[in-house]
Amino acid sequence: MTRLFILLICVLTAPTSFAAERSVTDDAGRTVTMPASPERIIVLHEPLIGVPLAELGLPPVGSYGRNDDGGTQMAADFYRLVLGDRAPDPLPRGIGALGNMDLEKMRSLEPDLIIGTEHDLEKAELLSAIAPVYLQNSSTGRVRGFNAEESLAGLLGLEAAFEDRKAAYLARLEAVRAALPKDPREQDYLVIFLSDQINAVGEMAGMVQALEDLGYSRLSPDRDSTVSGFGATLLVPLSAEVFGRLDPDLLVVMNSFGKNARDEAAIRQSLDRIVPGWQHFLKPAREGRILFVDSALVTTPTVASAMHMLDAIESWAKK
Amino acid sequence: MKRSIATDGRKVLRLQSGLEIRLDTLWATGLLCAAALGFSALAISVGATRTGLQDFIALLTGAKLDEGQLFALLDVRLPRLVLGFMAGWCVALTGAMLQSMSQNPLADPGLLGLSQGSMVTILLLMVFAPAAPIGLVPVAAILGGLGVAALLLWLTGGGQSDGLAIVLMGIAVETVLSSVTSIMILYLPPETSFAVSDWLAGSLFQASWDVIGALAPWFALSLPAILLLGRALRCYDLGEETAMSLGEPVRRTKPVILFTSVLLTSAAVTAVGPLAFLGVMAPHLANALCPSSGRARLVLSGLTGGVLVIGADALTRRFAGDLAIPIGLALTLLGVPLFVISMRLRAVLTQQRT
Repeated sequence: MTRLFILLICVLTAPTSFAAERSVTDDAGRTVTMPASPERIIVLHEPLIGVPLAELGLPPVGSYGRNDDGGTQMAADFYRLVLGDRAPDPLPRGIGALGNMDLEKMRSLEPDLIIGTEHDLEKAELLSAIAPVYLQNSSTGRVRGFNAEESLAGLLGLEAAFEDRKAAYLARLEAVRAALPKDPREQDYLVIFLSDQINAVGEMAGMVQALEDLGYSRLSPDRDSTVSGFGATLLVPLSAEVFGRLDPDLLVVMNSFGKNARDEAAIRQSLDRIVPGWQHFLKPAREGRILFVDSALVTTPTVASAMHMLDAIESWAKK
Repeated sequence: MKRSIATDGRKVLRLQSGLEIRLDTLWATGLLCAAALGFSALAISVGATRTGLQDFIALLTGAKLDEGQLFALLDVRLPRLVLGFMAGWCVALTGAMLQSMSQNPLADPGLLGLSQGSMVTILLLMVFAPAAPIGLVPVAAILGGLGVAALLLWLTGGGQSDGLAIVLMGIAVETVLSSVTSIMILYLPPETSFAVSDWLAGSLFQASWDVIGALAPWFALSLPAILLLGRALRCYDLGEETAMSLGEPVRRTKPVILFTSVLLTSAAVTAVGPLAFLGVMAPHLANALCPSSGRARLVLSGLTGGVLVIGADALTRRFAGDLAIPIGLALTLLGVPLFVISMRLRAVLTQQRT
């Protein structure tokens, strides 16, 4: 009878042990055997992977670009800025200095999954000695809006959490659209990212999702032949001369998130430095069709970033 | 084996086989080996896991460690140490060979374009055959280096040209190839471009037993190369005409030296990326420690290169904290002050003698 009981337990638990792991194919085409429900995830990119995961309610245990105590090594603390009250507490711990991952620190966090971007392909084999490594497309024109967050939700079985967030976003979207003075479906936009030069932003991140869901369309190369290569990469460099001739219906400008100062005054200062006199000859600036936003808030591929963009557009529309 | 005095008045150790080893060379070798052991002890002890030299010695004597300690010692720290030493040895040895061959104290694999040749072919492989097996990377590197070496020999008229012509032509080829590298990085897909930029800064992050296994045959090749080419390089140190008058077949040995340099450089570049300035710096530091030529110079240069790399890596990991310093930069931070001091000391000593 005892043997029969043991056999019964073995039979009942066998499917559980098989189900504890599953094989998936990541965006780099690698077959990854990972836990069915990973709980201790390390992310190799904070804004592109870590923030979407935290928004879905599964904050990573380790995150690239953080100190041992969870403090950020970057100019912007994306978890706190983008997620606000929803930011993980405690914050994920660091996995070594920026540009210098520490394999021992990573292992000490006992991860059951490491998620990186397509940029981490050459590290994947080495990191596989610590935990399964899943590579998720996150940039360079391979993802659009916040669909990287949706993909992660699908991978980790968090579809319900994503749908909840998306429902709140869609409701907010309708409210903001109603507050706009003109129908955005007949208007175009351009997002400019200021580093040490002027860059046109491609298709990724929550801000693009919000703008296009409102109905704005990206400034078409057909209508303005000075802008080419749209959507091919995150950033397309533009000369100051080309920038001066741009005339989208809505021009969104932001400072690099590598800078500490990203508010309107700081963005105006950056523009003064790169394109002196811009406010006199740039048509959207003269006609009040320019919107200054904090890049750290709106450039993650999350619903939260899209919501921040909606907030910024609503504030601008009310002015 | 007995101590005696050589014809130049220096103390030597004379072996029964007739081989003579200068005592100051032995002392310098001992000093460098001690430095290597010291830095190794530091490198084994630095890291996030609570383990270090004592545990490593205990492991060697059969003690059992937990998985975290084993991972830290055997999968992270030891591969990094071994790979760093081997790469530093190969690059420094190549620098010493090229300096003797070209009779130019500035010659190194980077200056002659050999490293750039390897880098360009690796980049071409990444761009045009991104799905190619990883084992092809060292082959591409060697082909690139060999291509540059062959081009240099052809442009300078084979083994007949003097060292200065090789250096000048090498600088020209290196400049062109650097431009090609820059253009390719600019137009590569961003993810490849990021990876290449990391690698160009020099890195021991990818150190693993597999990478060490790939570099080991070339490292082993350097030992017979020292034995076989040491005598020829001693003759080259006296000048090419003197070398010929001493019976050195310059037209045959020059391509062999260049070929060996390519193999060693390409293997090191593939493993850790370019180690800028090490090829120039290490032979000069070795020479400042103990002036020598031939086999002794090669061994001392190789040891100095290895010590510099593992020392720079261990010190930066110990003291840099959250500041990421690639091995190329760490080498510069440690090696260049030493280089400047040794050059300054040499200048002062020369002034005093005159």
